[in-house]
Amino acid sequence: MSSNQETIAGVGLADRPRKSRWPARMDLAQSTTGLVLALFMWGHMFFVSTILISKDAMWAVTKMFEGYFFFGKAFPGIVSVVVATILAILVLHAFLAMRKFPANYRQYREFVAHKNLMHHGDTTLWWWQVLTGFALFFLATVHLYQMLMHPGAIGPYQSADRVWTGSWWPLYLVLLFAVELHGGIGLYRLCVKWGWLEGKDPAASRARLKTAKWVLTAFFLALGLLTLGAYLKIGYEHRARAGEVYTPAWVQPNPMEKAP
Amino acid sequence: MASAPQSHRKLRFHILRYNPAKADDEPRIQTYELEEAPGMTLFIALTEIREKQDPSLQFDFVCRAGICGSCGMMINGRPSLACRSVTQSFPDDIWLAPLPVFELIGDLSVNTGKWMRGMSEKLETWVHMKQEELDFKRIEAPMDPALAEEIYELDRCIECGCCVAGCGTARMREDFVGAVALNKIARFRLDPRDDRTDEDFYELVGDDNGVFGCMSLLGCHDVCPKQLPLQTQIAFLRRKMVAQGTKG
Amino acid sequence: MKIVHTDVLVIGGGLAGLRLAIGAKRRGHDAIILSLVPAKRSHSKAAQGGMQASLGNVAKGQGDNEDVHFEDTVRGSDWGADQEVVRMFVNTAPKAVRELAAWGVPWSRVRKGDRTVIINGQKVTITERDEAQGLVAQRDFGGTKKWRTCYAADGTGHAMINAVADQAIADSIPVHERMEALALIHDGNRCYGAVVRDLITGEVSAYVATATAVCTGGAGRVYRTTTNAVICEGIGHALALETGASALGNMEAIQFHPTGIFPAGILVTEGCRGDGGLLKDVDGHRFMPDYEPEKKELASRDVVSRRMEEHIKKGKGHQSRFGTHLWLDITLLGEKHIHTNLREVWDICHYFLGVDPVKEMIPVRPAQHYTMGGVRTDASGQSPTLKGLFSAGEASCWDMHGFNRLGGNSVAETVVAGMIVGESVADYCDAIANAPTVPMGLVREFVEREQAKLAQFTKAGGKEDASVIKGEMQDLMTAKVGIFRTGADLEEAVDKLQKLLVRSRAIGLRSPTLGANPELVTAYRVQRMLKVALTVAYGAAVRTESRGAHFREDHPRRNDAEWLKRTLATWKGESDTLPTLAYEPLDVGRMELPPGWRGYGAKDYLDHPDTPARQQAVEAIRAQHANDRFAMQAALMPYEHLLPPVLRGRNERIDEKF
Repeated sequence: MSSNQETIAGVGLADRPRKSRWPARMDLAQSTTGLVLALFMWGHMFFVSTILISKDAMWAVTKMFEGYFFFGKAFPGIVSVVVATILAILVLHAFLAMRKFPANYRQYREFVAHKNLMHHGDTTLWWWQVLTGFALFFLATVHLYQMLMHPGAIGPYQSADRVWTGSWWPLYLVLLFAVELHGGIGLYRLCVKWGWLEGKDPAASRARLKTAKWVLTAFFLALGLLTLGAYLKIGYEHRARAGEVYTPAWVQPNPMEKAP
Repeated sequence: MASAPQSHRKLRFHILRYNPAKADDEPRIQTYELEEAPGMTLFIALTEIREKQDPSLQFDFVCRAGICGSCGMMINGRPSLACRSVTQSFPDDIWLAPLPVFELIGDLSVNTGKWMRGMSEKLETWVHMKQEELDFKRIEAPMDPALAEEIYELDRCIECGCCVAGCGTARMREDFVGAVALNKIARFRLDPRDDRTDEDFYELVGDDNGVFGCMSLLGCHDVCPKQLPLQTQIAFLRRKMVAQGTKG
Repeated sequence: MKIVHTDVLVIGGGLAGLRLAIGAKRRGHDAIILSLVPAKRSHSKAAQGGMQASLGNVAKGQGDNEDVHFEDTVRGSDWGADQEVVRMFVNTAPKAVRELAAWGVPWSRVRKGDRTVIINGQKVTITERDEAQGLVAQRDFGGTKKWRTCYAADGTGHAMINAVADQAIADSIPVHERMEALALIHDGNRCYGAVVRDLITGEVSAYVATATAVCTGGAGRVYRTTTNAVICEGIGHALALETGASALGNMEAIQFHPTGIFPAGILVTEGCRGDGGLLKDVDGHRFMPDYEPEKKELASRDVVSRRMEEHIKKGKGHQSRFGTHLWLDITLLGEKHIHTNLREVWDICHYFLGVDPVKEMIPVRPAQHYTMGGVRTDASGQSPTLKGLFSAGEASCWDMHGFNRLGGNSVAETVVAGMIVGESVADYCDAIANAPTVPMGLVREFVEREQAKLAQFTKAGGKEDASVIKGEMQDLMTAKVGIFRTGADLEEAVDKLQKLLVRSRAIGLRSPTLGANPELVTAYRVQRMLKVALTVAYGAAVRTESRGAHFREDHPRRNDAEWLKRTLATWKGESDTLPTLAYEPLDVGRMELPPGWRGYGAKDYLDHPDTPARQQAVEAIRAQHANDRFAMQAALMPYEHLLPPVLRGRNERIDEKF
């Protein structure tokens, strides 16, 4: 059996007496990275949706992350560090989760046949997780690379211009659905996988978790669509002056004060 | 209950026929019509089809009471026990196919026995006692009554194979041990008569063919005819095996 | 020709076969188990309520011991049992429970302190002793003086076969699944193994063994209405019968279980009544106390089944569209009890009847349940007439059940017989005289004979339909050889069965292939089943008395004077249509418990001429050893020499500490 194999100095030892500890570590890491990403994604959604409150609010959140309110000066490099961390977690998560994907056509065919025959909710949801996960591999990476390289280009106008003038909105639209579905399903699955929130009646808890999952997904999709709409609107109205940086009125230097 | 003769439904059974032992046989769906009778189960229906229509039709029944696990098959797409499936609960068209994953013997008959024996040998699903020679003239060792009930709960598995056939992972990866095995490990882990520790159990299921291969699709839990708590048991085992695997 | 060699060939992978193989293997002999189905799917699995062993852990079992178990069993058998074998059994049963406990059976355990139980329809509080906390619990069963039935909820057989089959896997004992024995290879004096057919490929091969054990369970499927699994077709009985050398004992003794669900015949356990469930009629009236004021619902099974049918004949049954039945009421036990201790019962009612037994009554009627008779062996489990042939469990008749067995005694017998006969088999293999000297010509002859018989079905172009013949046999047996028997009915049955047997020799197949072919299987089995059915019907027709489960309306009295003897049926010639019957008298002069009234059922019986003298002798010995039950027993009927040395010795109890 292959399960007891361990590779040492490039050579597989068929009968190593003890089983490798790596599968346990990898299983834990897959769940942990998933959890971090899902929670990050929810926070992220709340932050970008501050545009629905006002441009100023969104500006303030952006600047907060750039350390403006701590240091009195914006350091977009902080964003790059965060983005790089998330990107690393994403790559690790993708690497770990990929082990579970169908590895060849036979497995693909078996699973699809199984899913279509069974009409079983959690099985079908996993298939959606595979598809969205696969999509996120590209969509999220592109988005993150952009943020990594242009950390300063976040703000009410810059973001909106990117959405409209920069034609990023189709990517964000697909990304939104992919990420919300993937994350929501993933969090539900983490609960049943590790036995969180089982309570006295695990069957009832599972049903409640499932409902909560759909409510949250619907909520974040709605929030996401509204937010994207808001950026689209701002971007469209701002298309003539695309590239201009937004600065709230209350931090704009007062010409009167400047004079000696 | 009405005693007057009533007209019964005409049921159509669409059965996946294939005999791998015959060199020239091709898998095909064959349809049999049968008049429904009150209280008819798939055991009664299939037996009647074999006796009156097609003596070559292969399927397995033993206890016909839902306790031996012989008659697992895909019934309208889902793995289930045929003997206790009442035709009344189905539409006029009933689709029957053998359980996937297991070796096909012919038509609806699959070799679950061989699979289960292999699983048991690989995972050593028996009580491992340090002390081989006990004196059975002496009063037995006491056991907490609640613990005995808990062990019995997990011991109710009938090895029908439904959990394996209902598992997306098992469908894709033939080395995956399946919920039946993970439940057994959970059962022996619970049993104070078994001297094995988590370190030993990790050797058996601590990899991607074992508990870490499970993707928590819960097909097993939802199709288990004995309603075993597979969801919580696998989750519990996963926690214990991760704890063991990340220790030290 | 493929030949497989082994020391011990065990035919049948149920509890008896598995335990026997483990015993032989642990003594150093290779064993192979042949099984029609995966071992854990054997019918042993269906035993629900429990296994009798006089542990005496629960308060209601206090004072229980081998002596009480012995008396209950002998009375239950209506004095048909071999009392030495019963002694061997009752002394080994506690050891068997304890061994199984160590092997992992999750026996239900005693909780110390007060608990409420239902006895005789009333709530009663029982206080369990502190020192019993966590020991194996016992419940009440029919025909017993004490609560003696050890159980794992109501999946006892299931839990037991899980543990025993797992031990067989641990001991690397191969189970050749989906293999069917077609004939025993023998020369009239000694058995050399079996001709075996692979049910998947159709291949016929020879399994040559020093010792061969038939552990194939019951023959319930010769009846239409039975609790037995579809594989319980009495093929093991037929294998032994067809040798012409070994005999079947007491085949007319067929047990009908009072509570088969109606109409499917699936068993709901005696534990339902043991735990306090009641039998009711069309008016909702609890009728058993009217017939059996002392034991009520918990008289022995033969008595309860007869009383139920008697009550139905009085017009007190409930008419449903399927026919007439009575009710089993367990609603008074409460939801919690049913969901913990009677879960399989709940499952069965839910799935097969659409009934919730917590709230509704269960439709029941007696159904064929157990074959007391079987392959006649001596106390060691070996055929006295065919060396090297052993048998254990329901398939055998070493005769611990006589004419009626008690609930919980059969599942106990499977493992106990497995333990005892496993040792005998090992002894036999050890004996140098039995070193294999296999006449290979004989092996070839047997294989070719069976192959020719199979070819006959596919080539001879017979016109009879196997499943039609089988159906007619089953209907005939249920209608004419049932609970109430008459000479006229039985003669009619014997006559018609003979005609069916003749017809079965002209069976042809619609699907004539020799590979995996269910029709071919029915064809060769039905010929064998008819022979077994004939031993039942013919034995019943000749036995002109009533004893245990064998009840003749035209001879309602037990007649010890003429019939205190065991029926032995053999099949002499291939072309015969009737078994040859012989009788083996039971020796009253050696009985520990001379024949008398059972304590329930009819009080009317004819004594054996030797009974009064033996009764006097027994009373004298009892008086002499009044203070020492072991000395008393040894003086009455020594038996320990019959047990394998490893299984001898007393059993410890809370009240009998070592």
